[in-house]
Amino acid sequence: MASFLSEHLDLRIIAATFVLSVVGIISVYSATYDAHASLYFYRQLVFFFVGLSAATIVTLVPFRTLQLAAFPVYFLSIGLLVTVLLIGRTVSGSTSWLNFGLFRLQPSEFSKITTVLALASFMSRSDVSLNNVKDLAIATGIVLLPTLLIMAQPDIGTAIIFAGFYMPILYWGGASRFTLVALAAPGAVAVSALFGTTPLLIAVLEFAVLLYATHKHRVLAAVVFSFMVLVGISVQAIYEGLKPYQQKRIATFLDPGADPLGAGYNILQSKVAIGSGGLLGKGYLQGTQTQLNFIPEQWTDFIFCVPAEEFGFVGAAALLILFLLILYRALTIASTVKSSFASVIAIGITGILLTHIVINVGMALGLLPVIGVPLPFLSYGGSSLLASLIMVGLLLNIHLNRKEY
Amino acid sequence: MALQDDIQVHTKRRVLVALLGLIFLLFFARLYQLQLFYKDEYGKKSEENSIRTILKEPVRGNMYDRNGLLVVDNRPAFTVTVMPFEFNKRVIPRLAALLSLDTNFIADRLRKGETYSRFAPVKIKRDIDFRVLAALEENRERLPGVDYQVESKRFYTTPARASHLLGYTKEISETQLKQLGPAYSPGDVAGSIGLEAEYEERLRGEKGAELSTVNARGQVIGRLDNGKHDLPAVEGNDLLLTMDFGLQQFAESLMTDHRGALVAIDPSDGGLLALVSRPDYDLSRFSGVTPPHIWNRLNTDPATPMFNRATMTKYPPGSTYKMILAIAALETGTITPSWRVSCSGSFRMGNKVFKDLHVHGSVDMADAIKRSCNVYFYQLILKTGLDPWSDYSRDFGFGQLTGIDIYEENPGLLPTTEYMNRRYGPEGWTRGFLPSLAIGQGELGVTPLQMACYAMALANQGNYHQPHAVRAVLDKARTIVDTLLYQSRKISLSQTTWDVVRKGMRAVVEEPGGTGGMARVKGVVVAGKTGTAQNPHGPDHAWFVGFAPYDSPRIAIAVLVENAGFGGSFAAPLAGLCIERYLYGKLVRPVAPPAPSPVATAVSRTGPADH
Repeated sequence: MASFLSEHLDLRIIAATFVLSVVGIISVYSATYDAHASLYFYRQLVFFFVGLSAATIVTLVPFRTLQLAAFPVYFLSIGLLVTVLLIGRTVSGSTSWLNFGLFRLQPSEFSKITTVLALASFMSRSDVSLNNVKDLAIATGIVLLPTLLIMAQPDIGTAIIFAGFYMPILYWGGASRFTLVALAAPGAVAVSALFGTTPLLIAVLEFAVLLYATHKHRVLAAVVFSFMVLVGISVQAIYEGLKPYQQKRIATFLDPGADPLGAGYNILQSKVAIGSGGLLGKGYLQGTQTQLNFIPEQWTDFIFCVPAEEFGFVGAAALLILFLLILYRALTIASTVKSSFASVIAIGITGILLTHIVINVGMALGLLPVIGVPLPFLSYGGSSLLASLIMVGLLLNIHLNRKEY
Repeated sequence: MALQDDIQVHTKRRVLVALLGLIFLLFFARLYQLQLFYKDEYGKKSEENSIRTILKEPVRGNMYDRNGLLVVDNRPAFTVTVMPFEFNKRVIPRLAALLSLDTNFIADRLRKGETYSRFAPVKIKRDIDFRVLAALEENRERLPGVDYQVESKRFYTTPARASHLLGYTKEISETQLKQLGPAYSPGDVAGSIGLEAEYEERLRGEKGAELSTVNARGQVIGRLDNGKHDLPAVEGNDLLLTMDFGLQQFAESLMTDHRGALVAIDPSDGGLLALVSRPDYDLSRFSGVTPPHIWNRLNTDPATPMFNRATMTKYPPGSTYKMILAIAALETGTITPSWRVSCSGSFRMGNKVFKDLHVHGSVDMADAIKRSCNVYFYQLILKTGLDPWSDYSRDFGFGQLTGIDIYEENPGLLPTTEYMNRRYGPEGWTRGFLPSLAIGQGELGVTPLQMACYAMALANQGNYHQPHAVRAVLDKARTIVDTLLYQSRKISLSQTTWDVVRKGMRAVVEEPGGTGGMARVKGVVVAGKTGTAQNPHGPDHAWFVGFAPYDSPRIAIAVLVENAGFGGSFAAPLAGLCIERYLYGKLVRPVAPPAPSPVATAVSRTGPADH
């Protein structure tokens, strides 16, 4: 029986997912202990069970169904993204939620998965090559459409996730290095422009070198270079033209230490909470930072602080290892499976999870500016947990069917 | 590509795994750094310490009078706050008992504050007693989330009240919150009326923030990073007033048992010297928290002490208004100053008889002003007509706002042809309505402020300056940050007109037979005009407007005493006293009767009966 299970199901992924989700649930409990304990904890619990069912279904669905369903669910999620812009609920300035009475859903969480499915479906066609400009444009369009809709909410964090999984997919899908550099250049240059003229110049220089090193076509390289410089200059110009309070927002976004009362406050509190965990942590429900509620949003964006404070270095490192395990297994699955549809899905899921983890943990550790994205399995949020579990289901499905596909 | 190329795949996988490893290595290193390396900074010590943001309320700007006397100051006051997120609703009864508040009041405040933010302290009670503060500190552990802030409350340094001028601050209302913008949070205090409201933006300063470390029980231990991250509060700017608070206090004392208003202006620039409206109220009751019963009492008092009679009430000006008609008549060439009227004590028009107080005999303009002959002016307005009269009224600032900077003002009511047509219909009124206007009665309504400005224009021969109470905005080093500019306009009249009218006003006070003799001041030439305004609700109002010294006036004044009777008897002496007090800095006339001669106390043993 055991061998049957391990033959068909990737036990490592299942185990890691399970532990992470449980840690997430008990961390949410701890983070909301005084204020809204029952509500958030029970909600998370319910979504966990719903997610388990969803994951099971997704795992057992025939592989062909996945292939057939890819584009339909993609368009369905586009529809939902449009709907949420029209009739969605606005929370903290962002219209990201659809209200279904008893519960709320965030379409953007699911659109990440459906975009990966659509991309995988498109790229797995035998007549499609990423070195073909037209095909590349279509693929980029598949990604760009939901990204723009999400940026309109506005939800910049989630939009960044799309860039985060598209790059590895392109890489995996055989796009040339030049393509990767060319696509990454404008975004990276735009962000550097916000830091100032010197970082902008450095970024332009670096990408110029990269473009030159990877280029195949002089004219194209020149076009990309000019476009990149244009983006850099216009971002700077737009920034100068902003009102002071808008500039301040961006500055805080980039350097929270400068504004201790705003985003900077969260970073400071986060570091104190994590750092004070020490080696073994303060014990469950004993984290003073958490329990005295000094970290706002500590059950969503800063959930990582809770196990870090209460279970210390040992706990935090263990969590990271569990994440690493899932990601490593996903990469292995991607490289052993035959169907490119399946492997792109696996890479896409890796990209999604990794980008979330990098941004969220990076932010909690004070390495990155505050960008609000949830930590998979741990952050409170029905849609996030559900989506993460579905992604695990997809991985298990691929693993289950690896012999035939 | 439906199937993967093995070699490429494995290379790519290696690259991605390496990337993965690199990222997580970075994370592990950072975790190590935070949790194991910086053990002291974040470790055992910070186990007890957490960061708390304490908002620092800025100190409100002070106010100085024209002589540099500090008149409005601040004192510290303690406000109890509750952080909803840390607060346990079970302790509301205990808190209510401590603060002597209703439990529903606290629950209600909390609920309102929570909708705004769960992490911002909600102000529960301002200006608490020091004993309550001490009890709070003692019970800190049993009241999680309860804290206090230091705020400032107003302190008035002089016995002068100047309630309507200075105004008071009050907890901000929801409409004000929307109007005034993001710098304000619920529970903040903002100027509600008077100078406090007019100059709210300059007086309030900017909030600061202090990051302190608190232990797990919420007690403050020290400053985070020695205050490196703190935002200092910016104190509000001070105001330099044009007021003379010595004069203000004196003028208030003169009006103590009366109702009415007194406005004194510096005619050289329109700066207010004193502004009294009686009855008034004690502003120190409004600093801190006003007990509701006091608020109710003031609001329901039939004498309406909260009402600013100096700028908000329309009174008929009575005879003090005669100069307007004189000016209108002279400027339009309707008459010359030597035109005479024979006053028999009354004036008949159709079947209506308009009365005068005395039989004045033959009077010219100077006499008519000096002795306040009504008949002269009844006839004059019929010759001159309504339009010139209302035009010159408008020139002298009547029927419109003066633009004073104390937040509330009434434009009064100036009857014009258009107004009369509108009110009575074009056929509904006749010239028979005019004689009342000639002597400052009828539909005409003016404010004491407008009258003082009128006196100012007469004093300085046509320079109508915008009246104002604040000269400049100062910073804490007493240097001027902003000299406020006000508008002035010129009323151009011929010199003859000025001379005739002003000489007439001088005669009112300085010559025997003039109705304003009680406004005389030793050693100073005073000019003015008395008025006794009929009032349908009761006894006549007493008016006096005037200025001094005649040649280079330094004070223009308007006094109104409600229901007091003759202007010459009741308003003129008050004006005279104020002029004296202002020009000399003190009273120079004897105020007490001379000491009585000693009475013999010894009685001889042989009394009358013995003789």
